[in-house]
Amino acid sequence: MSDQTAKDPNWKQDFPIERTASTQVSRRDFARFLCLVSGGLAVGSAYVAAKAHFFPPEEIKGEHFVCKADSVPVGGTRSFVLEGSSIPYILIRLENGDWRAYEQKCTHLSCAVYYKPGSGQIVCPCHEGFFDATTGEVLAGPPPRPLPALQVVLKGEDVYVTA
Amino acid sequence: MSNFKDAQNKAHPNKRNTLMSALIVILILNISIQIWLLYTGLNNALGKHKDIALPAFIASLVLFLIGFFWLYYLPMGDRKDKSR
Repeated sequence: MSDQTAKDPNWKQDFPIERTASTQVSRRDFARFLCLVSGGLAVGSAYVAAKAHFFPPEEIKGEHFVCKADSVPVGGTRSFVLEGSSIPYILIRLENGDWRAYEQKCTHLSCAVYYKPGSGQIVCPCHEGFFDATTGEVLAGPPPRPLPALQVVLKGEDVYVTA
Repeated sequence: MSNFKDAQNKAHPNKRNTLMSALIVILILNISIQIWLLYTGLNNALGKHKDIALPAFIASLVLFLIGFFWLYYLPMGDRKDKSR
């Protein structure tokens, strides 16, 4: 738009008479816009780097009581939230008797995942993401990272989790 | 003072056309690489591999600066030269 109409007064550049002229974007302007987008992406990368280095997420400290062991059946699950945190977790009692605890947010787009009893898989219903229930690794689907896990500690009949 | 811009402005429109398209293609290529860098940096930072975030940012910044100074080489098109 700036190229052809440079002779015109400013008001005429901003409000051209012909409708097509008002929507036309010159390649110069397009190239400038691409440069602006490029700057935005660089700023985004700077934000990610700054957040990763100077404001890391808080580590979980100590052991946290979740529930009694007999309140979760074999193949069953229980959702819980740690004190002072809003991240939902899922406690799983696997069919082989092992306990596992994972963040209940899919690593793809943070949908709530659930354990599919008998399959050994954690499923994200939003985009068909599958995780291995014993390790948290991604089996299939779009999730880019394994589920963050907590260690489960059994003390008699009490189930605790720790980082 | 005469510089390459004068010659560029006097060049045949076909030539400027090709040059403009080439510059835009390079800019789009830079942005594609930057998107990939941002995606990779973010993904690794969320996966607790923060070491990748800083090199990704530096690479992204370099690409932006390249793109920024690239704009200097844009042909002026049919814009009227004010010095004349």
